[in-house]
Amino acid sequence: MDVNTQRSAAEPVVVLDGVRKRYEMGTTVEALAQVSLELERGSFTAVMGPSGSGKSTLLNLVGALDTPTSGHVSLDGRDLGATTERERAAIRGERVGFVFQTFNLMPRLTALENVELPLVFQEWGRAERRERATDLLESVGLGDRLDHRPAELSGGQRQRVGIARALAPEPSLLLADEPTGNVDTATGDRIMGRLQAVHEAGRTILLVTHERRIAEYADRIVHLRDGLIEEVEEL
Amino acid sequence: MDAVEAVRMAVRAVRSHKLRSTLTVIGIVIGIASVITFATFGASLKADVVAEIGDTSASNVYLLTSPDEDRGFAQALQPVFTDHDLAEIRSIDGVRAVIPQGVVPASAVRYQGDTIARSQLTATTTETFEGSEFVEGRAFEPGAQEIVLNRAAAAGFEENVTVGSSLAVVRRSNETVAVTVVGIVNSTQGGLPFGDFGGQPRFYLPADPFYDTTVESPTVGVNQRVYPSATVRTDPARTTAVKVAIRESLETSDAASLVPEGTGVTARTSTDFVAQIEEIIDQLTRFVTGIAVIALIVGAIGIANIMLVSVTERTREIGIMKAIGATNREVMVLFLVESSVLGLLGALIGVPVGTAAGWGAAAYAEIGFQLAPLWFAIAVAVGLGVGIAAGLYPAWTAASVDPIEALRYE
Repeated sequence: MDVNTQRSAAEPVVVLDGVRKRYEMGTTVEALAQVSLELERGSFTAVMGPSGSGKSTLLNLVGALDTPTSGHVSLDGRDLGATTERERAAIRGERVGFVFQTFNLMPRLTALENVELPLVFQEWGRAERRERATDLLESVGLGDRLDHRPAELSGGQRQRVGIARALAPEPSLLLADEPTGNVDTATGDRIMGRLQAVHEAGRTILLVTHERRIAEYADRIVHLRDGLIEEVEEL
Repeated sequence: MDAVEAVRMAVRAVRSHKLRSTLTVIGIVIGIASVITFATFGASLKADVVAEIGDTSASNVYLLTSPDEDRGFAQALQPVFTDHDLAEIRSIDGVRAVIPQGVVPASAVRYQGDTIARSQLTATTTETFEGSEFVEGRAFEPGAQEIVLNRAAAAGFEENVTVGSSLAVVRRSNETVAVTVVGIVNSTQGGLPFGDFGGQPRFYLPADPFYDTTVESPTVGVNQRVYPSATVRTDPARTTAVKVAIRESLETSDAASLVPEGTGVTARTSTDFVAQIEEIIDQLTRFVTGIAVIALIVGAIGIANIMLVSVTERTREIGIMKAIGATNREVMVLFLVESSVLGLLGALIGVPVGTAAGWGAAAYAEIGFQLAPLWFAIAVAVGLGVGIAAGLYPAWTAASVDPIEALRYE
């Protein structure tokens, strides 16, 4: 974490350089054809495109869940293609925070324990973990819901737990995959308000959505189509 | 992730499916409990038999013939120990007494018109009664027409047999010999370690004049009495050394040349007998416990099964954990710890259940109860081992889950 904060602001958090991703599923599917993109530190980028455009693939590559067929993906200057599975797990745990459409909270854990979980894998001590998770949940307005399980929370509340969990390890990058896809419009706007606040606090965000209205919360919109960047729209 | 955290999460997962976990644990409980039951019962049986034999003096060395394969008990008792052999052994330093036992063939014993069938009476010497507990009377004198009965034998007649009563022994030749009862004993020190098992009625006659099985001694060339077995009383401090000396002496004895092919002449202490019996009971226990292990294997399959179901059910959770930084190894450890918790729970419950069942079996068999603490440790280790072994494949499956697929999994 210290390494991140000492990094010069000029260096991009994420660099995609000529990235291709092919899947063999009977026939070869080219999910990403030739994508180059940089995410500046502190930027807020939205990726838009129809389904099958390669949005999810892009997110998985940047989030160290997958490696490219060719080209390079680097995060905080580290080439993800040259990492082992174990190293990628560490990168996911320390540098990336995921916010999912379906929240993906652990159903048996309380809100507090869900936010603590990434820190458990980072070997944080119990007291520090608890303190950090409590602070985060309070900052998203769930200070009175610490011991509630996901099933006892509304969609909006669940997503706020999701955001708190994503922020727990102080990641360099927040990845949000259709974060408003499972909530109503008003709740969606509140969630986007949260993300905007996170961005204003200096965090780098990559948002994937197919809704123009949601994408407009970002600084720029990258339009993907058939695995290629069609247009980069600065807002 | 530290160990405490892993155990906490595993326990939580186990508790979140109470019925399923309970049923799985019952499988292990049955397996472990069966093993413990049989092991405990075996240990109890052993302790009981050993205690029974331990009553007889540990400083006795028993001379007898037995089949060459040093297995089983000496059933093939043949008259091979001549007076010459016994005299040789009597001269060994550390030997206190040599008490031969032989059989006087008979057809019946009669007392005041009451005749009871009796195929054989015991011929022995006065030393048999050294240290014996007499209910009344004394030992017989060598060469006298006297008889000593144990309580079971005395109780066998309708009329009360007491010291001074006159019995008639009907020999195989139909010749009747009158003998006077001079003593009634509780138990004797002579005889084989199992001689008094079950309180069999016994009649003791002096070998002189009643024992008439004789043979020409191959070493001295004269007819002598010859006995199938003898008890050698030794200096308790030197029993083992004396046993070795007796064995040496037996190598050049009449017995060694009289004994038939395939049969050997042996000198054993009661410790040897105990060791032999322990060995046999141990083998039996291992065999039956081995069968109980089958139940344990079935239990292990139950764990493997439920863990596989669990991995499938929690595919999405595995995906989440990986997305937020869990390594494959950590995922694997989580599932392994969970299956170990199931196995360990089964062992911890199975040990007292099995012990209770073993206690019940011992009570039913009317033998003393003996704990088998070593088996407790084994059971707990096995429960843990079974949990780990049964969890290996499911845990590996969990670790190999592709997080991208898993996050999409409904």
